[in-house]
Amino acid sequence: MATSTQIGASEGRISERRQLTAEEQALLDSGSLADTAIQARPRDYYRAMRHGDPIHYDERLGSWLVTRHEDISAVQSDPVTFSVKHGYSEQQARGMREEFQAYLEEHGGGYFPDAIMSDPPYHTRIRKLMEQAFTAHRVKELEPRITEVVRAVIADVVARGDGRCDAVKDIAIPLTIRVIVEQLGLDQGMEEQISRWSVAVTAQIGAMQSRETMLANAAQIAELQQYLIAKMKEREASPSEDMLSDLVHAEVTGEDGGKEKLTFAEAVSLVRATLIAGNDTTATAIGNLFYVLTTRPGMAELLESVVDDERQLGRFIEEHLRAEPPVRALSRMTTREVTVNGTRIPAHAHMLLVYGSGNDDETVFPEPRRFDPSRPNLGRHVAFGGGPHRCIGLALARMEVKVAAREIVRQMKTLQLAIPESAIRYQPSVATRTIESLPITFEAR
Amino acid sequence: MGNLHVTMTDSDGVKHEFPDVEEGVSLMELGRSRGVSGIMGDCGGGCACATCHVYVAAEWWNAVGEPDDVEFAMLDMVADVMKDTSRLGCQIKMNRDLDGLEVTVAPASGY
Repeated sequence: MATSTQIGASEGRISERRQLTAEEQALLDSGSLADTAIQARPRDYYRAMRHGDPIHYDERLGSWLVTRHEDISAVQSDPVTFSVKHGYSEQQARGMREEFQAYLEEHGGGYFPDAIMSDPPYHTRIRKLMEQAFTAHRVKELEPRITEVVRAVIADVVARGDGRCDAVKDIAIPLTIRVIVEQLGLDQGMEEQISRWSVAVTAQIGAMQSRETMLANAAQIAELQQYLIAKMKEREASPSEDMLSDLVHAEVTGEDGGKEKLTFAEAVSLVRATLIAGNDTTATAIGNLFYVLTTRPGMAELLESVVDDERQLGRFIEEHLRAEPPVRALSRMTTREVTVNGTRIPAHAHMLLVYGSGNDDETVFPEPRRFDPSRPNLGRHVAFGGGPHRCIGLALARMEVKVAAREIVRQMKTLQLAIPESAIRYQPSVATRTIESLPITFEAR
Repeated sequence: MGNLHVTMTDSDGVKHEFPDVEEGVSLMELGRSRGVSGIMGDCGGGCACATCHVYVAAEWWNAVGEPDDVEFAMLDMVADVMKDTSRLGCQIKMNRDLDGLEVTVAPASGY
């Protein structure tokens, strides 16, 4: 089983390559995930790689794209051979990291490497600290409060009375920001800034920045860090009941087993990561939900039919995350030369685990483009990654999307796209597949 | 070191005897720290990933008890390998009443 075996022990494993059609071969030869047209509609490219060259070197990007589910599983369960720390730092501000770092040191109160984007054994200690915040049971306790927040966001939009909105900008983004801001204990009413900051942070792993946009984004991140540092200093002096206070005062178990306080730099990086990861990707999932509800025949009816059944609604959401994963690809870097599924990858090579392709792998999910919440192996999808770096906020993300789905059905009906489907724009990024704006019309229920 | 006894059969069919388990330790933590194959515990014990799925031996089912709604929802995501005696290891914390517990690690959900 790929997931339970160290890659070292399974380096001999080779699965069948399939014969590509001439069209698929051409796409494989000429395509790149750096191409914004492919980023927006990537499935044919994913399929060509997955079938013909599952560990594909994307020359334009300079990355090995891992596209089969079995290989993604194998790679992510070996965090030592495939380093997140080096993969992430290589990907950050790709090719311009030194300048990015210098800018933040000068203007952003410091350069704070992401403590959670690290390798064991350090990662294990940081991760343990963060895990307690968003367990499924803790999130269940938050459900009534999350429901109030979501209900209010949608009610405000409905109350405008014109039956139109931008489902991404008016609902998905403010909703997820309000939830995470409340958990962290940051200020409400800053949705617009936080959204801007989030885009700037996520762009660092998107591999699509010019020098000019990198510097513009760095300026946003500097502003974000200055804001967070000021808030954290406040909590250092007078703690309150929120995650911000918890993190400022947190202790982790050190290498010798004793307790060590997190450094301030580590704490800043963790607050920043929680804020950004806690809103951007979940907003994408909710934006995607509006997208499928307005473009896929039968989806709105299907959602309506399961909305009062906790188990079926949970399955609907999980299948939605499988079918439309917000995070399409995240980085690793090889720490030694290694062979994955017959493909030799040199040491210090950058890789992307293409979750968007893994979730479409027909050997795991038959008829992957069919929306089927009754799949018996739904839990295998890799929308949250897997292995020791599996998304830490997964329970919260699921809950927010579920509550959003429920409130959409309770407050809105006859959702329709207000622009042609071909006019939908995606953020340029290899890391996420995010709809920028989704104008819709609806009727109040 | 504790003195509670747990028998855990791993996903390769190998039987592990642990006679020294401390009170309060979850089966996920136990399996992960002792390298029991098939126990991954990706989410760290948050009842949110189903990678520490075990089958409880029939004679121990009453002592261990049913999963709650949150845990059941997670087990439902690996329905193809779920059984009547399925539990997530992270949700079973060892105590005196479970001294002698026997479980088998469930296979990963199918391809």
